[in-house]
Amino acid sequence: MIHADDGILSQEQRLMRDSCRSFVDDVVTPFIRSNWQREWDMSPGERLPGAILEGAEAIGIRTLGVPEEFGGIDLERETEVRTFALIAEEIARGDSGLADKLVQNWKVSIVIRQFAAKHLQEKWFPRLLEDPKFLLAHCLTEPRGASDRWLPYNVPEASMHTRAVPDGDHWVINGRKQFISNGFDASLYVVYANTDPSVGMLQGTSSFLVPRETPGLTITKCNETMGCRFMNNGELVFEDCRIPADHLLVKSTALASAGQYFRAGKIIQAAKNLGVGVACFERTADYVQNYVQGGRILIKHQAVALRLADMATRIEAVRSLVERASKAVDEAHPDADILCNMAKVYASEEIMKVATHALELHGGNGAMLEFGIEKLFRDAAIFLHMDATVDVSRMKIIKNMFPATAGKYAGPET
Amino acid sequence: MKILVAVKRVADPNVKVRALADGSGVDLANIKMTMNPFDEIAVEEAVRLKEVGRANEIVVVSIGPEKSAETLRTALAMGADRGLLVRTDAVVEPLAVAKILKAVAEAERPDIIITGKQAIDDDANQTGQMLSALLGWGQGTFASKLVVGDKAIEVTREVDGGLQTVGLPLPALVTADLRLNEPRYASLPNIMKAKKKPIDERTPADYGVAVEPRLTVVRVHEPATRKAGIKVGSVGELVERLRMEAGVLR
Ligand SMILES: Cc1cc2nc3c(=O)[nH]c(=O)nc-3n(C[C@H](O)[C@H](O)[C@H](O)COP(=O)(O)OP(=O)(O)OC[C@H]3O[C@@H](n4cnc5c(N)ncnc54)[C@H](O)[C@@H]3O)c2cc1C
Repeated sequence: MIHADDGILSQEQRLMRDSCRSFVDDVVTPFIRSNWQREWDMSPGERLPGAILEGAEAIGIRTLGVPEEFGGIDLERETEVRTFALIAEEIARGDSGLADKLVQNWKVSIVIRQFAAKHLQEKWFPRLLEDPKFLLAHCLTEPRGASDRWLPYNVPEASMHTRAVPDGDHWVINGRKQFISNGFDASLYVVYANTDPSVGMLQGTSSFLVPRETPGLTITKCNETMGCRFMNNGELVFEDCRIPADHLLVKSTALASAGQYFRAGKIIQAAKNLGVGVACFERTADYVQNYVQGGRILIKHQAVALRLADMATRIEAVRSLVERASKAVDEAHPDADILCNMAKVYASEEIMKVATHALELHGGNGAMLEFGIEKLFRDAAIFLHMDATVDVSRMKIIKNMFPATAGKYAGPET
Repeated sequence: MKILVAVKRVADPNVKVRALADGSGVDLANIKMTMNPFDEIAVEEAVRLKEVGRANEIVVVSIGPEKSAETLRTALAMGADRGLLVRTDAVVEPLAVAKILKAVAEAERPDIIITGKQAIDDDANQTGQMLSALLGWGQGTFASKLVVGDKAIEVTREVDGGLQTVGLPLPALVTADLRLNEPRYASLPNIMKAKKKPIDERTPADYGVAVEPRLTVVRVHEPATRKAGIKVGSVGELVERLRMEAGVLR
């Protein structure tokens, strides 16, 4: 793959990317290639061997986002999201489920460092750093939807069904969350709940820090997904779950305040997606230069070469947009919201096409589980829906561009 | 105890390099560069000695262009304490490298110098040996094991006949072979911390060493492309061809 971005990266960014790439090449990819059955192990905790997580731990990619004062990494904040993107791409190039698992820690750390009381940061960040199995999760989606909630309709009827009500010096949470990344095995959750049913969700949603052991919180299942299977997606039920008052992160305006999380999240999402695309390209480029059909290696058949060029071009276009959008997010540019949604949605559709080419160019081998190409295809498909659907992402773009018209409330169904 | 480690910036061994069309050298434009793999092993060994309390300071030195600072930075991220870049854009031959390193050693007074056994670009395998001769120190080359005492070290060497263990009084020079250890990846937090570690810069002239080449490169060309294999019809034919054509059976 071409890497023309080297010049604009700092020396540290390049070294971090290279270190992560070596780890992926030496440890992650060989494991994935020779253990294709593992992702189908029906005991979710058994899928990913400890050695992979220990390796991730050794190079420090589980806890990016934790501030240095709590023992975390001293990333330069002005280019932090760009750095996240670089590392997320490299991990996902090895396995996108592993990347999902790790990046969720970075993203939720942003929320905690921004909103949690100091004594809670002092309590939880060291635990996160010390325990290699410690994962974080971010709980927004409910059975009655996630993406619709994000549309222009900031009205009471669109609010979350999960509710939190004050009771003395506690909050009591009732409700359900579904499709939550790391939901099955996280140790600490950031949970969004309605705290004022009389107003729209942007004014009536609050966020809370909920430790896994809290009575009233039950992890009900691990969702079996079509791709990214080394991340354990889960479902949660809250039944009179009592949270100390100081665990409230943001009162009322939790959604509107979490912009930094969401923007970094979209970029990371697009970057992981890019990593899957690069893996598709590398595997395919290797295959077509070695596999002989009709007396010649595939790449000498011009139709094959054209498809490969199309893969490379789409990947580079996605890369350019991810770079531009991550820069905008790092610089808090007014168009950052628009650009990060563009990067996310564009990556998901383009890399799906890249994965389709990969499948096609591998012929029958592409359909075989032990070959690993169908895995890339499944992993790519997950990105269409994770963190907003394609159509909802597009609506967000237009709503942001034309708030007075596209963003205007159309009224409830009668 | 102080350890000096010499590291070189070379083309990444995983990339395919090509000869320049005019045969004057290897085309390194836009090629990914990295620390010489044997030097990574040398750095790792020094860091391990520091981790077990045997060494208390690790200085890494690189001779080469400005970008070699990046290679030093990687060594600092692995655990070295400070770096020294002897900056030159010239092609520096092993003897000149050894002379510069000798001058650095005289200034730094390390107890042990560790280098890679060779750099994977020109594969000269000369610097360590020349350096030890210039310094008049004992040498343990192709080390696969290093035991460090207070006044002496034991180096297990990989030699043609197997393993040989030599005892050397300190100060001494060691060149690292493949099996000495498995180098770590620089961790992301340590890469950020390494940013704050110092790298000094000098030139060969500061050490009074002339780097003008003494050797002339006549021509660099790519290895002949391998001929396609052939299919044989029977075991009999295979044996026959191995005997008559390949000359491997008698
Ligand atoms: C692998 C994975 C990981 C996830 N991780 C998390 C997580 O960590 N935390 C979390 O909170 N959530 C998570 N989710 C949930 C994810 O964010 C949602 O699934 C996604 O936003 C879509 O929401 P939904 O499932 O409710 O779909 P729906 O909103 O039900 O969408 C169904 C269809 O209707 C369309 N649609 C919906 N509303 C509108 C509208 N107003 N106008 C036009 N079309 C509309 C959508 O585009 C889609 O085609 C995850 C999902 C997956 C698959």
